[in-house]
Amino acid sequence: MNTFLTRMRNRPETGSFLGFIVFFIIFSIFGDHFFTLGNQTSLFTLTSELGIICIGVGFLMISGEFDLSVGSVYALGGIVFMMLSPHMHSLLALLFVMIIAAAIGWFNGYITTKHLIPSFLVTLSMMLIIRGLIYMITSGRITSHKGDSFVSTFFSVKMSGLPGFLSDFRPSHLWFVGLLILFHYILFNTRYGNHVFATGVNQPAAVRMGLNTDWIKTKNFMISSCFAALAGIIAVSRFRMGSPTIGLGMELEVIAAAVIGGISLYGGTGAIIGILFSAFLICMIRNGLLLMGAPPYWYSGFVGVIVLISTIVNIKLQPRKTKF
Amino acid sequence: MSSNFLVSMKNINKSFGSISALKNADFNLNKGEIVGLAGDNGAGKSTLVKILAGVFPHDSGEIFLEGNEVKLSSPKEAIQLGIESIYQDLALFEDMNLSRNIFIGREPVKKKLGGLIKHLDMEKMNRETLKALKMTKINLTDTSQLIHTLSGGQRQSVAVARAVYFRAKIVIMDEPTAALSVKEVQKILDLALELKAEGISVIIITHNLHHMFSVADRITVLQNGTPVGDKKIADTNIGEVEKLIIGNEFS
Repeated sequence: MNTFLTRMRNRPETGSFLGFIVFFIIFSIFGDHFFTLGNQTSLFTLTSELGIICIGVGFLMISGEFDLSVGSVYALGGIVFMMLSPHMHSLLALLFVMIIAAAIGWFNGYITTKHLIPSFLVTLSMMLIIRGLIYMITSGRITSHKGDSFVSTFFSVKMSGLPGFLSDFRPSHLWFVGLLILFHYILFNTRYGNHVFATGVNQPAAVRMGLNTDWIKTKNFMISSCFAALAGIIAVSRFRMGSPTIGLGMELEVIAAAVIGGISLYGGTGAIIGILFSAFLICMIRNGLLLMGAPPYWYSGFVGVIVLISTIVNIKLQPRKTKF
Repeated sequence: MSSNFLVSMKNINKSFGSISALKNADFNLNKGEIVGLAGDNGAGKSTLVKILAGVFPHDSGEIFLEGNEVKLSSPKEAIQLGIESIYQDLALFEDMNLSRNIFIGREPVKKKLGGLIKHLDMEKMNRETLKALKMTKINLTDTSQLIHTLSGGQRQSVAVARAVYFRAKIVIMDEPTAALSVKEVQKILDLALELKAEGISVIIITHNLHHMFSVADRITVLQNGTPVGDKKIADTNIGEVEKLIIGNEFS
């Protein structure tokens, strides 16, 4: 039992799991209609969209960099997808968006690694530039989604063909869980994952051991942007429309989820699985507070407190780096 | 021409902007020899070994390895040619375990999905790590231990195990004894001797001439980027080397 507890303690995702359980119980007891299938699946939909972005950002954070532009890339991805959709097959539109997103990620990575500018500043600028671009191409108006439903069927529309309660689920839930498992596997069981960790733990040493850390980081910036754009496409094909303000502030929710999920802001530690609980936790807090009748503006304060607590808990639980 | 030496660096020049770090520097290393590189701060010792380790490109000059001219344009190339470095931070990764540290950049993998996925062969990594650790005669048997749980001397041994396991020809030790306890310093100096016994040549940089004299076979002294002396340990003493390091400025 003792060793089990110690092992649990050393796992970065433990904190987010415990937080998830505690709030789930509280909201189930005190929130009207919280513990219903309909509410849980709609929560899972929000979680999936936030969580897919969080996987990309989490991977990037483990390699020691940051991406504040994901909220804007999320919006750009969704809006460009809707603008392209009437003119081409939706799969082609998705492909175009992915190329644009990858280019943005590459640019973030290039400026960060080759010009040695902190990614915080590079992606902050990118966030503002892209948001400006979105207002420009939409003239500030709401864009609606017309075109074939191929992509929306594969990503976001409820799977009504399935029997019973399964029909309440959406494909985005499966994509989220699938990507989560895939990236968890990549991180811990592949050569690339090993290099991502090494880059985050000790970049100068990784360079001396022959790793191309600049390219590793750049690839992770590209993954981060692509996942953000994918989440944007999933969201707009669910709403069938999107305003230029979608995804505002989302980058902070994503980083909050990553930190609660056990990923260090300094890089080098973290596990992707924690995102499952932390992303759900963040979406659940907004939903649960509303259902408990709390004013909606409590939400951000609550998330702030939880980020603070989980950071402190993560540091206290792992008494490392201080002793040699 | 330089085939007798394992490494021969000739007329190496290197500038950082307007500062010239190395001026026509020559440096030779024999097989199985420990050479101490001495000099004051800014004399160019670290620059010289970093060029050999592929970290910095040199502006002009030639480098011969076993008689053949080599281009060392990246650390990876240097490592592949058998030139390993043990720096102050030992190029170890605190939050990663022993196996992952030993094999970083050279992980054995099983290819899956037609080579798309390079799955880490952890079993082989753990097995070979134990083998590598045995070579350095240190008492570490748990390959899942994280580096930050090890003592300074144990860390050093892990770094040495990595060099020995991958059959390094040359190991560069840049200030390996700085910030170590007296007991640990002795272990490191012993390890330099162990590497030598394995037939590996060692270049050691340290400010502590006593440490250098206790292990080195030869000392090369640099001053303002130029070699000013090359002495066999048997033919010199600390006082003479100190004078070479300080130079004529104060005489």
